[in-house]
Amino acid sequence: MSMEDYDYLFKIVLIGNAGVGKTCLVRRFTQGLFPPGQGATIGVDFMIKTVEIKGQKVKLQIWDTAGQERFRSITQSYYRSANALILTYDITCEDSFRCLPEWLKEIEQYANSQVVTILVGNKIDLAEKRAVHRHRAQDFAESQSMVYLETSAKESDNVEKLFLDLACELIREAKQNKLDNSDAAPMLGEGKSISYLSCCSIN
Amino acid sequence: MADSGGLMSVKRCDSLNSSSVSMETITALTELEDLERVYQQLCSEEKDVEVALDKLVDQQGLINTKMMTLQRMGPNLQLIEGDASQLSGMITFTCNLAENVSRKVRQLDLAKTRLYKVIQRADDILDLKFCVDGVQTSLRDEDYEQAAAHIHRYLSLDQSVIELSRQGEEGGSVDASLLMLQEAEQKLKVVVAERLDAAVAAVDLVQVERFFKIFPLLGLHEQGLARFGQYLCSQLASKAGENLLLATGGDVNEKRAPLVFAETLTLLLEGIARVVETQQPIVETYYGPGHLYTLIIHLQQECDRQAQKIVDKFIQQRDYHSKFQVVQNSMMKSPVPTERIEPRELDPVLMEVTLMNARAELYLRFLRRRMMADLEVGDAQSTTQEHQQNVEKLLKHCLLSTTMQELIGYYIPMEEYYMRESVNKAVAMDSHEKGQLTSSMADDCFYIVKKCISRALSSANIDCLCAMINHSTSALESDFREVLYNKLRQGYPATTLQDFQRGVSSAVSLMQSSLQQGKFNALGIESTEDAKAAFLVTLNNAEVCSENITTLKRNLENDCSKLFTQGPASGDRAKIDSCLSDLVNTSSKFKDLLQEGLTELNSTAIKPQVKPWITAFLSVSHNIEEEEFNEYEANDPWVQQLIVNLEQVMVEFKTGLTSASYDTLTSLMTSLVAIEMEKTVLKCTFSRLGGLQFDKELRSLVAYLTTVTTWTIRDKFARLTQMATVLNLERVTEILDYWGPNSGPLTWRLTPAEVRQVLALRSDFRSEDIKRLRL
Repeated sequence: MSMEDYDYLFKIVLIGNAGVGKTCLVRRFTQGLFPPGQGATIGVDFMIKTVEIKGQKVKLQIWDTAGQERFRSITQSYYRSANALILTYDITCEDSFRCLPEWLKEIEQYANSQVVTILVGNKIDLAEKRAVHRHRAQDFAESQSMVYLETSAKESDNVEKLFLDLACELIREAKQNKLDNSDAAPMLGEGKSISYLSCCSIN
Repeated sequence: MADSGGLMSVKRCDSLNSSSVSMETITALTELEDLERVYQQLCSEEKDVEVALDKLVDQQGLINTKMMTLQRMGPNLQLIEGDASQLSGMITFTCNLAENVSRKVRQLDLAKTRLYKVIQRADDILDLKFCVDGVQTSLRDEDYEQAAAHIHRYLSLDQSVIELSRQGEEGGSVDASLLMLQEAEQKLKVVVAERLDAAVAAVDLVQVERFFKIFPLLGLHEQGLARFGQYLCSQLASKAGENLLLATGGDVNEKRAPLVFAETLTLLLEGIARVVETQQPIVETYYGPGHLYTLIIHLQQECDRQAQKIVDKFIQQRDYHSKFQVVQNSMMKSPVPTERIEPRELDPVLMEVTLMNARAELYLRFLRRRMMADLEVGDAQSTTQEHQQNVEKLLKHCLLSTTMQELIGYYIPMEEYYMRESVNKAVAMDSHEKGQLTSSMADDCFYIVKKCISRALSSANIDCLCAMINHSTSALESDFREVLYNKLRQGYPATTLQDFQRGVSSAVSLMQSSLQQGKFNALGIESTEDAKAAFLVTLNNAEVCSENITTLKRNLENDCSKLFTQGPASGDRAKIDSCLSDLVNTSSKFKDLLQEGLTELNSTAIKPQVKPWITAFLSVSHNIEEEEFNEYEANDPWVQQLIVNLEQVMVEFKTGLTSASYDTLTSLMTSLVAIEMEKTVLKCTFSRLGGLQFDKELRSLVAYLTTVTTWTIRDKFARLTQMATVLNLERVTEILDYWGPNSGPLTWRLTPAEVRQVLALRSDFRSEDIKRLRL
């Protein structure tokens, strides 16, 4: 592993109800595609994308999980080693929003305590069908001390930002407790602190 | 002046060929100066003109010769012109000829195609008549194959030709024939369908196959496949019903009873596979390639129904869901003591589930292969992609798949529970036999983990395998490592000798700290010796675990590549690799644990003993004369005893630790000795002979330590060796023979300040000399 050409390696796991667009988010980010008529994911899918942030190569291992209940025991096994979780819901589907507390309970139970969780409301291209008001989601995210972001995998809105911001945050955390984080390669020196949500650029 | 100058320059610009100064200007000039200037100008112009003229005259000869050549070429040109016009005439002639020929050929071709069409139409009309007659007789004779062949012939005739024929003179008779044919076609369709239905009802395979083959001739592919599928399904259903009845009503004591549902499912799936295998050639021959997919859609519906029945019975008879519920409750770690399940009880049901899933995977793979092969024969690449997606959709989302996915969904937590409980049990039942380096749990735990992962692997479901690898990683990394970590935290108990040496007070404090930590001494269960052995065994366990993990990963890699050779998507491979690399990362965590433990051992068990032995160096004077030096030669004052002591202290670790761990410990001990020696030496004073004595002692020590360790220790003793060199100098200034540009291959590990410090240890060196040194 250490021979590979990257400064950081992070595992990101996408979770959330079936049909909220997890696979589309991942496809959009990793391949720049929006495959219409995507079938339900079976088990887990696995993608890799390496990005460069402030001159550092960051390898993102993205695990796209199936939302259906019968795959839950498979997807849960990936929580523990995840550096970040992207909890996704569909802004046009009230039900997918109402399930969020259940997902948080799962995270509490299976993920490690240092995991970074971000809440994503997907499908903002379907604004006319919106069922969950932005403020509601924002408030909910704040109450759970999560960052909230709204995306559209179809229009490619905020997708890049989602993953890059997350990578920035993970780098920041890795630098803060580099002893605890064994997944990240050792870092020389203490980097400048990066302000979250506004720092990213692909160089 | 200025005016005339300006005028002149204008003129010059206007006319460059003729003289730049006109007659009028000259006559208008009145001043001598101007006249002279103009004269000069005219003279130089004249010269220029002369030069130009000379050049032109020179060219005359050349032009003359060129003219001559041109004149000579005149007659030739006339010849060429004649030839060219002749050629042109020939080409025009040829062209006309060719056009004439090709026009005739085209006419011939047209005539030929028309002739063919006429023949074709005549044939068709003849065929039509023949068909009309044939169908009548065939139908009368109940020779349906023949009748269908006639209808097929009729259907394959060009409809426009038939239309044309009706407009011809014989329109009336053709019309009548067509009407008869259409009637016959309808009649045949009805009859064949009836007969097939009757045959299906009568379970008459020969008749079913007979009429099944007729359908495509009548253009009824879908209908034929549907009816045939229905027949096959009813066959499968009755067989599966029998099998399931046998399974549920069978003798419980039967040898295969624990796997009876997996066997029943296997029978069902094998049955369908056999049907596909036998019917594929028939379908391909009579329906053409690409139709197997349709037949399989029909078969899969029955497969789903039957598989669901088997799985339902399995869940019911094996208490699958209630077992899962119990497992889940106990995994939640609820404070209320819940009903627990013995992991061993889960063994058979876990095996059965994985076997069922493996069979289903095998079956689905078989179907995929067959359908793909059939589709590839059928069409060119154009539609393959779409068909491929259809096939994938059928296989991935059929009820059989989702049912299996559900079973696996329950299986994983149960397998995880089985693993964690068994590991806990192995830890609880841990035993250590004297003479063994490790205790039973190190290998037991890995046996369990390996068993669980292998079982997951045997399900042939990659996600299931990955999930179990993940769970194993977390079980090893948190649970099992925690056990070892806690054992090591209890520390290595001090020896009685050490207590004695430390004095009573430290022994008391040691006791107190032991009491506070609730250690073995307070409980009085384990003796010190047992505690020591336990610590060493735990270290060995950590090392073995680290190795076992690496071995496990390697074995799993092999197994995976063997099992998934049929080429799973590269994504699956990457998934497994990623999970395996997480698993193997835990190996280094055990290694870190081992390293920590050895460091702890070194500082608690070795350091307190070694320190006084080295401090004893201080009580042996190195400020000595010849006489004492000789005396030391005869009776070694220090180093031999140190070596004996080191040998003694290490001997118990040599037998108690694995050789690799012992090596690491020895290396730690060696570093310790080197550091302590250095500190001690700096507190001594030396004479010239004392320095020599120290050099001898150091050599013996290094020689001994070299024999007990496989690591190179030269490096660790480099500073001490250099100190000995400094202490052995004749004069202060002799250091310069070894220092700086004279150091040769020697790299000094001592700083100039340290060299001075060491030099100062020599009682016979004057401090002024040392100060004066330029290092």
